[in-house]
This record gives sequence, C-alpha cells and structure tokens, in this order.
Amino acid sequence: MDLLEFAKGPALQVAAYILVAGSIWRLVGILLLKEKPDFSEPRQSGGLLAALKVIYTRSFTASPFKRATLYPKMMAYVMHLGLFAVVFLFVPHIMFFEGFLGFEWPGLPNSVIFFLGVAAVVSGIALLVRRITNPVLRLISNFDDYFSWFVTLFPIVTGLLISVRMGFRYETLLAIHILSVALLMIWLPFGKLGHTFLVFVTRGTTGMVFERRGAKT
Amino acid sequence: MKKRPTVGEILQAKGVSRRGFLKYCATTASILALPPSMIPRIAEAIENARRTSVIWLSFQECTGCTESLTRSASPTVEGLIFDAISLDYHHTLQAAAGEQAEAARHAAMQENDGNYLVLVDGSIPLGNPGFSTIAGISNVDMLKETVAGAAAVVAIGSCAAFGGIPGADPNPTGAVSVMDLVTDKPVINVPGCPPIPMVMTAVLTQFLTFGELPELDALSRPLAFYGQTIHDRCYRRPFYEQGKFAKTFDDEGAKAGWCLYKLGCKGPTTYNACATTKWNNGTSFPIEAGHPCLGCSEPNFWDDGGFYEPLSTGHFDSGEKLAGAAAAGVALGAVAAAAGRRRQAKFMKEG
Amino acid sequence: MTTPQHVPITASPFHGNVRPLLNEVLHALDKLLETREATTIDLASLPFGPGELEHLEALLGTGELSAKLDALGSSSIRETAYPGVWWLEHRNAFDEIVGRYLEITHTPEILSSQDADIIAGRAHLEEQFE
Repeated sequence: MDLLEFAKGPALQVAAYILVAGSIWRLVGILLLKEKPDFSEPRQSGGLLAALKVIYTRSFTASPFKRATLYPKMMAYVMHLGLFAVVFLFVPHIMFFEGFLGFEWPGLPNSVIFFLGVAAVVSGIALLVRRITNPVLRLISNFDDYFSWFVTLFPIVTGLLISVRMGFRYETLLAIHILSVALLMIWLPFGKLGHTFLVFVTRGTTGMVFERRGAKT
Repeated sequence: MKKRPTVGEILQAKGVSRRGFLKYCATTASILALPPSMIPRIAEAIENARRTSVIWLSFQECTGCTESLTRSASPTVEGLIFDAISLDYHHTLQAAAGEQAEAARHAAMQENDGNYLVLVDGSIPLGNPGFSTIAGISNVDMLKETVAGAAAVVAIGSCAAFGGIPGADPNPTGAVSVMDLVTDKPVINVPGCPPIPMVMTAVLTQFLTFGELPELDALSRPLAFYGQTIHDRCYRRPFYEQGKFAKTFDDEGAKAGWCLYKLGCKGPTTYNACATTKWNNGTSFPIEAGHPCLGCSEPNFWDDGGFYEPLSTGHFDSGEKLAGAAAAGVALGAVAAAAGRRRQAKFMKEG
Repeated sequence: MTTPQHVPITASPFHGNVRPLLNEVLHALDKLLETREATTIDLASLPFGPGELEHLEALLGTGELSAKLDALGSSSIRETAYPGVWWLEHRNAFDEIVGRYLEITHTPEILSSQDADIIAGRAHLEEQFE
C-alpha cells in the first residue's frame, strides 16, 4: 500500500470515526448536563427565539468595540469564509462529499478557490502574528490555540501546493494533503476547534440565559 | 568479434541522403521527446551507434505488449532503428521453435556477452516454478540466466515493471516484477498496459543511440516519457480549471468534451505520454475518445480503487461502522454528562 | 503574386490550447528579429484536442513559398501566411506523418543543400568526365 492509498483508506477512516465519535461525545455530554437551577423570577420568557437572536447579533461587534476589533474581526471573517469556500465549494472536494453523501452541489472555478485559499492563509498568518505580538493575547494563548491554528492552516497550505505543483509529485502532495485533513479531523472535537459544532450551541445558550435575566442582547 | 556496422553506415549503405538523415534525426528527437535543439547531438550519436543484440523474454503476459510494439515497428522510422538492432530471440515473433530457439538465445548471449539488451514482458511467478515455463525452464531461472551477461534490462509493460494483472490481489501465482529479481543490472521500466508503441521503440532508440541509460524517475521509468502526468498535458485540462466536468458518459458535459475527473480519471496521478504522443499513429488517446484514464502505467493500478471513482473520493468501508462511532459518541457523552450531573448534585448539596 | 490569406485570430473555439502556442510563435519571431536565432516547435509534444491542430493550421494559413522534399518518404516545407513561420511535415515511406514542426527561421535548415550531399554529388559529377 502506498502513501496515497493509506491516506485515502485507513487514515481517513480512523479520522472519520474519531471525528464523529468525539463530536457527538462532546455535544451529548454538554446537552445532557442538568441546567443550573435558577430560582429568580424570569424577566422575559427566554426561548428559542432569544437563542436565535443572539446567534445573529453576536455575529457583529457591539458598537463600542467596533473600532478596536475591526481588524481581527475582518481577518477572522476572511479566514472562515475562505475556509468554508475552499472546503465546500472546490469541485474535487464536492466529489469527495458526494462519495458518501450521494448528492452534489455547484462549485466555484479553481482560480476563485485558489484566491480564497490564499486569502484564508494570509489572514490566518495575520491573526497568528497578532496573537504573538499582542501581550494580552499571548498571555491567554496556550498550546491548544497554536496547535488548532496549525491543523487548520496546514491542509489549506498543502491543498494550495497541489495546485501549483510545488515540491513533491502530485500523488505525494495529495497524500500529505489528505493526511493533514485527517489530523484536522482527529483534533477538531477535542480542542478549541470544537467551536465548529459548539459555537451556535454556546451562543444560543447565552442568549436564552440573558433573555431570562432581561439583559439587552 | 566482427565489428557491427554503425547506424550511420547502415543508412549510407541504403543510399539515404544527408537531408534524409536530418529528417530522420528530427523525427527521432520527436520520438525521444527531446527538444529540437538536440538534433545535431542526435545526428552525431546515431552516426556512431552500433547494432545491438536484443533478447526478448515473455513470461506471464498476454502478448499485448508485443502486439503494441509491432504496430509501431513495421511501418515507421523506428523500422529503421530496428535495422540497427538484432532481435535474436522473441518466442512469439521468431520462426525457430524448441531447441533451435533456445540455441539462438544461447548463441546471442555468448557472442554479445556483456553488451546485449534483455527485454522482458510479463511478470515472474515465484509461487511455483511450474506456473509458467518456456522450453521446460521456469521463468525465474530463464531470467536469471539471460540477465547475467546483459548490459541492461528493459521491463516492457506493467506486468514486467510492477507485477501487473498477474500480481493483482490475491496474486495467486506469487507474481513479482523484473526489478524485484534483478538488482545487479540497470533496469529500465516501460510500464503501460500496453506501453505506447512509440515509447517502447524510443527507449530502445535512446539506449542504442546514446549508449547510456536514460534519466529515470523513482520507479525507474524514463523521465522523457513518464516525467509528466496525463493531467498536466491533457487538452481537457482547461475544463478542469474552470470546474467543468462530465458527470455521466452521455450528458452534455461529456458531449462538450469536458474534464473526466468526476468519472474516475486517474490522469493526475498517472505518469505517461499518452496525452501528447497518443495512440494509433497519433490518432487519439483514451481521454480524447471520452474515457477516463485508468492509470495503467502506475503500480497496482488494478487494485487501486474503482476505475470510475473520482480520485478525491475517500475509501470508507461502510456507513455502519461510522454509525457505530456515532453510537460510541452518544454513550461517551452520556457517561460524561452523568458524571457532570453527579458533581453538580454534590456541589449543590455541600454548597 | 497571390496575397497571403489572413485568417483573423480569435479565441480558439476548442480547448484553448492554440492561443498560448501562437504567443510562443510571437516571441520566437521577436527572438529571430533581435538575435537571428531560430526556434523549432515540435507540435507532437503539445496537447491538442480534436480539431485544434487543423484550426492552428488554418489560422497560420499559406504563404508565398512551399517545397516538397523526397528523402525517406515525402516532406512538405511551407511558409505560412506569417513570413518567418514555417510549417514542416515529415512523412515516412508509407506516407504516414511522423513529425510536425513549426520552424521560426529565415530558411529551414533542411532546404539547404548539405555539405555531405554536395561532396557525394560532386564526386558523382566528376565521374561523368571519365
């Protein structure tokens, strides 16, 4: 078995098991926790609507912080949207998903994907530089932050290398790319990358709690 | 030993003019995939190249490689270079049989000791020597005996180069490739199922012309022909870049000649010259005929997943195991939550 | 004298493999004018889709001069509508095309009489006096 076969077969398979089991483990573990009893009178009836409202409003910065966070916020958006497009709108990737989902969706031309991939990497690097140079950010950063950054950016970089044919031969690069994705899949449920599936859960919970307390959201 | 005539002398004797010779060198450069600026060098080398003895051994094979080769050899310029080799043994093509044929092989080996070329098509079974024999000699014995005095060995076709179809899972005969057995002589792999006729003759031409081994890749394939992927030289590549793919063999995309990646084309991982040299005297190649590349010049192409499965597809064995993983996740989550609830209750009680 | 026919160069209706080649020819012409250095492009080494080679040939058109060579099969050497750009086709004894080239040069080398042939021919002529 060559490296590519290993990457496409066992490596991806094991990574998929870990991704699915790990993500569900963490979600179920959190959702089944008993709610902390709140004996106070609810100010407003916190419900699903409140959750959705905060999920939406927290997507933008509250006005007092707008100036201060404009740069990292923009970079983060570029990185996340770029990553989304690269993962889900690159045609060979769609074929990958179609392989087990059984359906497809329209993609973008390779040149657009390439541009978005480069934008994602550049903004990712900009955010890392900010994390290292900003003393407060550096203080609150741990291994998880740096490793999560690495496993996210590495697959994009290897993917871009394939399209420009740099370094190794295509099949070797493809194998490295798939292995880098497997690494991302394995790490995703356990570190801060868990926000992939937790972000809206936590935000919604915050919304419901705040609504109940009568906070302006 | 009588000095064999040079190719230049052979051509001169045939009354070929210098212009004809230049034309010949130009087409040779083209076949060898050398830049036209190399033509003077080729002219010089060809003039001084000497006639070489060639022994062709056929083991576990289908004769497709020989069929392919003869499509090239008879009518074209390579026919001329075949005036410059002496094919002393090829049990499919030669008239002699039995003892007589074996005698020809031994005579060629003795006369040209250390200088002859051995060409092999087919894989060699190690499971049982009786699986494949010629004149009562097992393939492995004949290979070892013949290679001993050879200058180099050329493994023709994917079976000789990598084990090929006889070596496909579960490999009932224990088939191995030439380079698995020959370690003390230079081995040139010319894989393909079959290899492109022009490529086979060109590799011979190159060896005969320059008297040296061509530059090889990690799998011992000549870089001149196996240096680039089908995908890199494919005329449908612009469609790949535009994200235009045929989804079935009869949809609009297929009719418009769009990229066949989605139909399982192995072009991106296949190193061969089909996209430019093409087949049947430059008529077309599989992708031009509307079929994805199978990757036949790559090791284990037969076992390398489905022919019609896109390269980017992962090999997941079943959804059941994934469902099992999900169930395991639920169980782990429930246990974690229960532990959390217990901690919570304890905290509430103790305050 | 017939005027060379110019076919307007538009985007290739096929797979877009013709345009980059025309660009290469353009650069080769610049090189020829500046350094007098000739360029040969082996058309067999380039990817062409169905009909693209014919499209290229039509685009380049036919110029003022064409020659036939009869050595190891026939060959045609033809200047295209673009002076300095030559279309060469070599055929073998069975009339099959074995090589196609674009030469960007003042005169393709194969048109010139070769010294080896001149020497042989001169010797032959001398024999006529004996």
